[in-house]
This record gives sequence, structure tokens and C-alpha cells, in this order.
Amino acid sequence: MRIGLEVHVQLPTRSKLFCSCPTSAQEPNTAVCPTCLGMPGSRPSMNRAAMEMGLMLAKMLGCRIPERTWFSRKTYFYPDLAKHFQITQYDTPVGEHGVYKFQGKDIRIRRVHLEEDPGKIKRVGRAGEESSLIDYNRSGIPLVEIVTEPDISSPAEARQFLSDLLTEIRHVIDLPEDGERSVRADCNISVGHERVEVKNVTGLKNVERALTFEAVRQTKLLRAGKKVERETRRFDEERKVTLAARKKEFEEDYGYIGEPDLGIFNIGDMARALALKETPLQTAERFQRDYGLNPQMSRQLVQTSMDLARLFEHMAEKVPVADVLPWITGTISSLWSELESLDDEMRDAMTGLVASCSRGEMNDQECQMRLRALITGEELTLLQSGAEELEGTIEDYLDRNPAVMEDYRKNEKSANRVIGEVMKASGGKYSSSQVVEAVRKAMESRR
Amino acid sequence: MFCAINPDLDHLQDGQFDFHFSAKDNLTTVGLPTRAGSRILEGYRPAFDAHAVEAMRQAGGLLLGKTNMDEFGFGTFSTNSAFGVPRNPFDLDRSCGGSSGGAACATAVLDGHVALGVSTGGSISCPAAFCGVMGLTPTYGRVSRHGLLDYGNSLDKVGLISRRAADLEMHLRNIAGPDPRDPTSCAQPPMGKSAPVRSIAVPKDALEGVSDEVSRSFQDALDRLRDDLGLKVETVETPSFRFAMPSYYVLGCSEASTNLARYCGLRYGVQSEEITEHFDKYFSRIRSENFGREAKRRILLGTFARMVGFRDRYYMKALQVRELIIQEYQRVFQDHDLLLTPAMPFTAPRFDAIDDMDILEVYKADYLTIPPNISGMPHLSMPCGYAQGMPVGMQFVANHWQEGLLFDIAQRWEEAFRLRAPEVTA
Repeated sequence: MRIGLEVHVQLPTRSKLFCSCPTSAQEPNTAVCPTCLGMPGSRPSMNRAAMEMGLMLAKMLGCRIPERTWFSRKTYFYPDLAKHFQITQYDTPVGEHGVYKFQGKDIRIRRVHLEEDPGKIKRVGRAGEESSLIDYNRSGIPLVEIVTEPDISSPAEARQFLSDLLTEIRHVIDLPEDGERSVRADCNISVGHERVEVKNVTGLKNVERALTFEAVRQTKLLRAGKKVERETRRFDEERKVTLAARKKEFEEDYGYIGEPDLGIFNIGDMARALALKETPLQTAERFQRDYGLNPQMSRQLVQTSMDLARLFEHMAEKVPVADVLPWITGTISSLWSELESLDDEMRDAMTGLVASCSRGEMNDQECQMRLRALITGEELTLLQSGAEELEGTIEDYLDRNPAVMEDYRKNEKSANRVIGEVMKASGGKYSSSQVVEAVRKAMESRR
Repeated sequence: MFCAINPDLDHLQDGQFDFHFSAKDNLTTVGLPTRAGSRILEGYRPAFDAHAVEAMRQAGGLLLGKTNMDEFGFGTFSTNSAFGVPRNPFDLDRSCGGSSGGAACATAVLDGHVALGVSTGGSISCPAAFCGVMGLTPTYGRVSRHGLLDYGNSLDKVGLISRRAADLEMHLRNIAGPDPRDPTSCAQPPMGKSAPVRSIAVPKDALEGVSDEVSRSFQDALDRLRDDLGLKVETVETPSFRFAMPSYYVLGCSEASTNLARYCGLRYGVQSEEITEHFDKYFSRIRSENFGREAKRRILLGTFARMVGFRDRYYMKALQVRELIIQEYQRVFQDHDLLLTPAMPFTAPRFDAIDDMDILEVYKADYLTIPPNISGMPHLSMPCGYAQGMPVGMQFVANHWQEGLLFDIAQRWEEAFRLRAPEVTA
């Protein structure tokens, strides 16, 4: 089975690819201008940020990047396409001949190119009386299309590949988490010799479903001695089946010509100047190498958050890895979503706690409480003032009962009485270990 | 000659404006329809002024109206408009030329008028020649095309038609300059001052296929350039120019067929009450009913030329020819300041003669104006004589960005040549 994907990802730029309209809007047709509506006399101008993101991705995928690039017009008639041609890249994609390392295997990347998204059609009204509404807010949003060679060998692998790829993309161009739904793919699959393309499948799950359905359908046909027809199909999300698309819709000749209004871009220097961050999966591999983490743990780390991964590295510089890991994968990881921001101060505070726990200056329980307080914020102040209050209560008790100290000097067990009294007086406000420690400390200092 | 008049003209105060101008109907104008001579844009009111219109208004100009033209610029005689045909003020039975026919006509009959025209393959030079006025087509990219309804984006140039050389220079300075709304205008060097012309090159075969009367006027003009203006006039060979015309039609039509794809009765222009058909059918019906014959022809030609299998053979080859012609010009400009030919091979033809021309004859009429247009060279059409009462035009071509040389020759020829005004008036 051979599977190749054409992956479309919306780039997280603030403005559209060829105009300054915002890329997000509440009401339909409010983020539009003459350019993205294709009004006569309007013309495109390039969004540099989108070009940079396209180049970053081409670089990340190890593509060959040309010195010069330009855009082309792909002409077809469809109501959501304002100009009836899509500005895309044809002769000179921003990247070609890349390779993506995936589970010890090379998935070759045929090309990476930039293009504009068309608008969106919405069907409204009762069946039989439906009408179509068009929202052009999406028209002109930058897309990157990544085309693989047919190097994927199963629907599950396709999904895993996409998931990995998205993790990397998300990091390299700061794609927000909810970007998954906005990932669309055209899926090419051949069980026998003939290739079928399933167009415009949205989301990872649907990609796997569509491919699985297609694999089964083609296998059945071949077993029955029938031929698989080379065709374009679409995926019905509700019924989870692929259906033959109207022939005319996709079998057009797009008649590509250059887009004269944008001119030619010298991207060689631009591409060389872009520094590529280490991608999450590269970081995971490095963690395995440098810190001896197992593959699962290192992937979990980078997939939770790259900030978490960086925190791990910071701690591991100062504290033995074996003492860092339980905290990173345990308490810190589970409270991660509550952390507002990881600034240097927070990072150092967390590292300090883990370090002193590692040195035995603090037991695990206290370290856990302090970490919790630090991360969730609110309890932090409570604990600090609480600690003072607790000390006050104990000192108070010891002042009022000087005999206790005398007993203590003879038998340390008499501290238990103090502990019990303080617990009672504070109404269970503090954990027993907190009280035990505070009482020991106070009594030792008077001894 | 006008296909829309500014409704504000009725309540104007004296001295409110410094000059009056018009805009070809393919330049967008707020408050006035913009239809580019096409029925498919009936009812369209643009939301913004084209850059050149905006610049002329800011310079103190009063926009009189929109001038008639061949539909989307597709024509040589302004006979392909859905809104009537402008007639030549020197002989009402003859054409104004095209496609900026209305613009040249308005300039010929309105004293002190300056018209914004647009040239893709000769649409300024041709009507300027037929109507006995001056037409300046700047370097491609000199004037922002923001607000121009595209014919061929890699060929379209906004320019000026006027009866005074000084106006051409002054107003080109008004409308030229980088505009971020048209990235192709952002690579231009500043416009130089008027620079003295010393030598002129004339292609050896410049008069091949040119009518006797135009040849005679042109020869006389050459003599005067040599004798009265003291210019060196030399003959040069330009063998690749003969490939310009087929290449121009391939490039122009290819681009046009994509530019015109957007006109379908959906977002602007004509709309049908009947909207229950499948979109494919609806688009086809609207386009069949509302595009003119020549527009349809060029859409078909252009679509054909960019299809798989033909793209390399036609479209890509035409791109190469364009490079070749640019090189040829630049070779000539190493030794000469300007290149000179007649503007059109004949004087303005009668409408009945136009009816008898087949389409290839019409296309061929542009063979002198196409080389500078396909290569983006700035050029100037000037009256150089009169034959049986009809103006004859000649066309000077300069190297990219050298409009300064054209200002100089315009000024000097204007002093040496007596321009005639038509007897009819507006």
C-alpha cells in the first residue's frame, strides 16, 4: 500500500497573504477588502511574515530552497474563489526534495509551497430548498501545502506522521494548539497499481478513517478481480465513507501562468538568514542521547510543552537527572496547565526547590507542597503567611508552657503533646508533617 | 467619447480646480461607474479611486468623466465598446483609434484637457496618432496600476494624452512614483529631468507595410528632425521585432483570460434575478450574454495558450521572446537615445473599411506599437503631419525609465511643428 499526502496548514499570521485584512473575525464577510474579494482594480502585495514561515517549514523539512521564487495563477471557476484564480506556487515552490525522518524511516517531501485559501461556502435552509452563502473571511488566508512522496505504508502511519509533523510545525511557526481542525489533507492511496485521491479531508482522525475506508474498498475490488479506477473522491464525514466526486470538479486543466502583479522574490538570502529552532522531536531525541531518557518519556515531555522540556534541561544542569525526572513528569507536569507563565524567576524558584529536595534539605512532601503553591500562585501567599502564623502559635504555646521544654530535654517524645495541641489549636489548617517539622524546629532552637 | 459624466459638474464654483481631466473607463472612480466598455460591469460602483485618478484629483484636477474604450482594452478602433463608438473629430466617419479612443478624442476637442489613458499593446499611441494629439506611455511600473481593471498585468501601463508637451511632463510627475498597493511600481528609480536627445535610430524596415501617405509624412518628419532639430538620425536593424506581435497576443490573451474569470455576475456588475441554476451554468450564461465578441475571442485564445501541452509551446515561448526584444532595444540604446517609427501604418480608417477588415488585419495594425509595449519601454506618440486632413503620428521609444528623453523631444518637436485642432468642437 502506498500513501502520499498533500497537507494544507493555515499559517498563523496576523494578516492575510496578499492584503492587510485580519486572519480572524467574528461575523461573516467582515475581514475582507477589495483585494481578498477580488474586486476589479485591486491587486495583491506580499505578506513577508508568511513568506518567512513558508521558508522555515521548507528548511525544517530539509528542502532545497531556490534563490528566486514567484507565484502563479491557478484558474478555475468556483463561487468561493473570489478572482476565479488562486494565487499559488507552481514552477518555483519555496522548497523541493526534502525529507522527513519519521520512526526511523524517510518520508520524502516532494514540495512545499505557499498559496491563498479560498472563502467558505455554507449551505443553509431545508433539504430541497437549500441555498448557499459564501463567507470570504477565509479568502486570502495564507496556507502552506506540503506534498509527500507516496512513502507512507498504512492509514495509521499516515495519522501518526501527520501528528508528528504538526507537533514540529506548531513549534517552528508557533501554530496554536487548536490548529488541528484547520489541517486539511488530500490523501493519495493505491493498494494496487491505480491511485485514488481523496480530496480535502479535515483533521487527523478523518485522514485515518478516509484512508482506511479507501484501503478496504480497493482491496475488496482487487480481490473480486475488479479494477480500481483512477479517480478523485471525497470523504463524507458523517457517514465515514469516500464517494466518487463529480468528475468535472477536479479534472480540469488549471492553465497555470505566472502572477505578474507580485514579481519575483529573491529568497536565497532570506532563507539563509532564518535560524531554525530545534524541533520538538529533535529535542526528544537529544534528551534520549544526552540524559538517557526513554523514548516515550522524552516524547511525552516535548509534546506536553516545549517550555516543560526546557525547564527539564535547566534543572538537569544543576540537579542529578534521576532527582529531576520524578518532579518534571509528576507534580510539575500534572500542574502544567495551571502555570500562567514560566519566567526566569519562576524557573529558578522551581529549580531551587527541586535542588534542595535533592540535597535532602527538604522532604518530598514539603517539596511537593511548595511546588504546588509556587505553580498555582494563590496558595503561595497563604502558605507563607501560614508558616509565620504556625510558628507564632507554637512559640506562643511554648512560652505559656515552659515545663514542656524541660520534659523535652529529658525525653524528645514529649514533643508529641505539643504537636497535638498545636494541631488542635490551628483547626487542621496545616498538614501534620508541616506541624511536626515546625514544632521540632522551634523546640530544638530552645533546647 | 464619454461613457459617464461626473454628476458634480452641474454645481461647480469658478476657480475650484486647476485643470480638467478624464479617466479611461477601466480606471476605478468613486462616484462614477467603471465598466471598461463592458456590459458585464453594468451597475458597478467601485469603492475606491484608481491611484492615477486619486493623484490627479489631489493635484487639483476636476474629473470630467469616463472615456469610452474597447471592451477591457480589446481593440484598435474603439468599436468594441458596449456603450457606443467615439468618432474621430477630424472626420466623423472615421475611428478615433483604440483602445483609449474616447480619451484621445476628448483631448482633441477640449482645450487644455488631459486624459488618463491605458496602454497594453498600443492603446495610447494609436488613438493619439489617429486624433492628432500626444500620447505618453511610461515605463512599465512607473505609474501604479492600483485601480486599473486588468487586461494583461505584465503589459498594462497607465499613461497620459494631451495636446501640450509640458502637460505630459507635469502630470506624469503627478501620477508616477512607488505605491505599495502595486508592488510592481515599487522598484522604479526616480524620474529624471528632461534630458537632451542627440541621436535617433530608425529601424530599417520601419516603413514596411506602411501606407504611402504615412510614409511621406514620416519621411518629412525625419528630414525636419535632422535639419531643423539637428539630430543624428541613423538606420538600425531590429530583426526580432517581428516576433513581438504573436508573442504579445499570446501573453496578453493568456493573462486576460485569467483576469476576466472573475466577471461572472456574482459579486459586482450585472446580476441575474434567476439564481437557482448550478453555478457553472449561471456563470456561463452571464458571461455568454454580457461579454462582447472580441472579449470572448481573447478569453478563448488565452485559455488555449496556457493549457497543458500548449503552455510551453506558446505562453513560455512568448515570455522568452519578450526578453529577446528587450535585449534588442537595449542594444540599440547603447548608441542611440531614441528609436523612432510611425505610430500606425495608416491614418484613421473609415468605419465601413473597419467592418471589412478580418481579425488578423486588425491585429496586424498594432505591429508598430507592440514592440515597445511588450518590452515595457516608455514611448511617445506625436503628430508628425497630416494626410488629406487626417493626422499622422510617429512614435518615439526610449530605454526603461528614460522618460526624460521623451519630455525633451516632445518639447522640441512641439516648437517645430504646428499642431492642428479639429474643426468640430465638443
